[in-house]
Amino acid sequence: MDQLSQALVSGLLLGGFYAVMVLGFSVIWGVMGVINLAHGEFLMIGAYMAWGLFRLFGMDPFASLVLILPLMFLLGYLLQIVLINRIVERPHLMSLLVTFGVSIALANLFKILFTSDPRNVAVAYNGSLQLAGITFPIVKTIIFGAALVIMTGLHLFLQRTRLGKSIRAAAQNKTAARIVGVDINNVYAITAGICIALTAAAGAMLSPTQAIFPFMGPPFTLKAVTITALGGLGRIPGALMGGMVLGVTEIFVATYVEGIGTNLGVATSFVLLVLILVVRPQGLMGGLRPIDAEAE
Amino acid sequence: METGPPPNKSEESEKKKSPFRILAPVHSLLAGWTGLALWLLLLLLLALYPYTGVSSAALLVGSQIFVLVTLASNWNLIGGMTGYVDFGHAVFFGIGAYIMGILVTGSPLLISPEWGFWQALPASGVAAALFALLVGLPTLRLKGPYFSIAMLGTLVAMREIARVLRPITGGGVGFNLPPVLNRVGDYYLMLAVMGLVVSLIWWIQRSEFGQSLIAIREDEIGAEMRGINTTLHKIAAFMIAAFFTGIVGGFWAWQNTFIDPDIVFVEARTVEMVMMSMLGGLGTVWGPPLGAVVIYFLQDFLWGSLFGVHLLALGLLLVLIVLFMPEGILGTLGDRSSTSLGRLLSRVGRSK
Repeated sequence: MDQLSQALVSGLLLGGFYAVMVLGFSVIWGVMGVINLAHGEFLMIGAYMAWGLFRLFGMDPFASLVLILPLMFLLGYLLQIVLINRIVERPHLMSLLVTFGVSIALANLFKILFTSDPRNVAVAYNGSLQLAGITFPIVKTIIFGAALVIMTGLHLFLQRTRLGKSIRAAAQNKTAARIVGVDINNVYAITAGICIALTAAAGAMLSPTQAIFPFMGPPFTLKAVTITALGGLGRIPGALMGGMVLGVTEIFVATYVEGIGTNLGVATSFVLLVLILVVRPQGLMGGLRPIDAEAE
Repeated sequence: METGPPPNKSEESEKKKSPFRILAPVHSLLAGWTGLALWLLLLLLLALYPYTGVSSAALLVGSQIFVLVTLASNWNLIGGMTGYVDFGHAVFFGIGAYIMGILVTGSPLLISPEWGFWQALPASGVAAALFALLVGLPTLRLKGPYFSIAMLGTLVAMREIARVLRPITGGGVGFNLPPVLNRVGDYYLMLAVMGLVVSLIWWIQRSEFGQSLIAIREDEIGAEMRGINTTLHKIAAFMIAAFFTGIVGGFWAWQNTFIDPDIVFVEARTVEMVMMSMLGGLGTVWGPPLGAVVIYFLQDFLWGSLFGVHLLALGLLLVLIVLFMPEGILGTLGDRSSTSLGRLLSRVGRSK
């Protein structure tokens, strides 16, 4: 029983992180129909930035978000203008190939810059609290709280602000949005900026809890796809739900599969993904875009 | 005005636009018997090459190029001709490499007596093909990007599993194979495999089987309506591509004498296959081999021996090819509509 409730709590905490990790991926896909295979690499960049700031200035990873968010917004904005806007109207295959290429290039760029030695950010509060016989790792609990704050913030931004409304309009019907005066390219670039900043923030928050290395990205990209298939595109409650399901499943596999379960995170989410897509191609909660191969 | 169907007109104007279509007149010849005859002639010359007294380093270069050509052609069968863009094809390479490693060393499974190279090589291919069957049955039902991502997932998941299954795979530290140096043998073996694979693809492209694959790529529902058993065709193409990729993986493990999860199950190898196919011309018979040769020499001349920089350049080059030359060399110089991406691009912007 204790093991069960501990697994459940750990799973939900992990799920909170997954939910904030997936937001950027899911919103980019939902708004411009681009499946960003370099998602995990942006997370990796965020983690490296947090590590660098921690190492050089002793900056706390959560405090360093103040710098990481605007910088990565800028990177996302520029990348969208220079690269992705050129192919966003073309067949899916092209954006898939471009982001795949970007992911390999970024991972290897960081390997050249920082070698493939694992780095870690050793914060002072890296312990855990005991509450009712259940262990709460402090950092993961803070991430969970931050995840809820970020998700609420993004939700309010998309629902209430003018810019958020333009983004949703561009997602729903590009042509109509253009007609009523939305500057699609600019909206896309802002969306990409926000999404990549959020992804990097997730990486920065993750940095105290796991080793940082150039090739840490792809598992996160794959988990992001799985969560999106679970929770639907660009929906914040869906991301939360999908993140929780994946987090709990992963921790249960780790707890109950003897010996090797801890290292089977990707395999678990791969099996989940293929199961979902085979049984329900539109995603568990519906709403995955029909792929252009169909519509052509 | 002529009363031709509109797509033809746009293709005509496309042809006029480009000044580089020097291959256009001979294009149809290359796809036919002339192409095969030239190919066989090239194979014959390559078979005579070791008799000209070349160094063993040149033979190594030769066998490495043959490996790349084989990989590119194999990937093209599923990714170009059938239109299922496989981002995890390196998984079959890895399976082949591991089967070879496990069988010839006997360890870590303590197989005794150990298998010889010639028994283990077909086993590598068969294992990869069986794995393709296992994975393909669910994943080939997925469409477009979902298939690509599911295969990428297969690759990353297998890397993880190979690390975890220490009793079978030796875990993350990998293991060594007996070093056997036989450059001439390697050269002829890979020449034979490459010759076989490319000729097979040439034959497939002319056969009813290949035409069905292309029909699946162009319009899967339509193909099914016409009575093509799409599942069977896709699985067959997938298994053929996996079989030879597994053979190459097994050979590579033998030649490299060391394997671990991070060097055989690696995304960069998939990127290489995708890029060589795209550079040459996706979905054509001769494009991927051409792309492979070009990429090999580009790597050799431009990026030298720095492995890390080489992978960075690989990623960037893929981006550049997609942006500026999506139809590849053959599509740019010859007939744009012969490459699958050229066809896709002339048909759609993005329908949304």
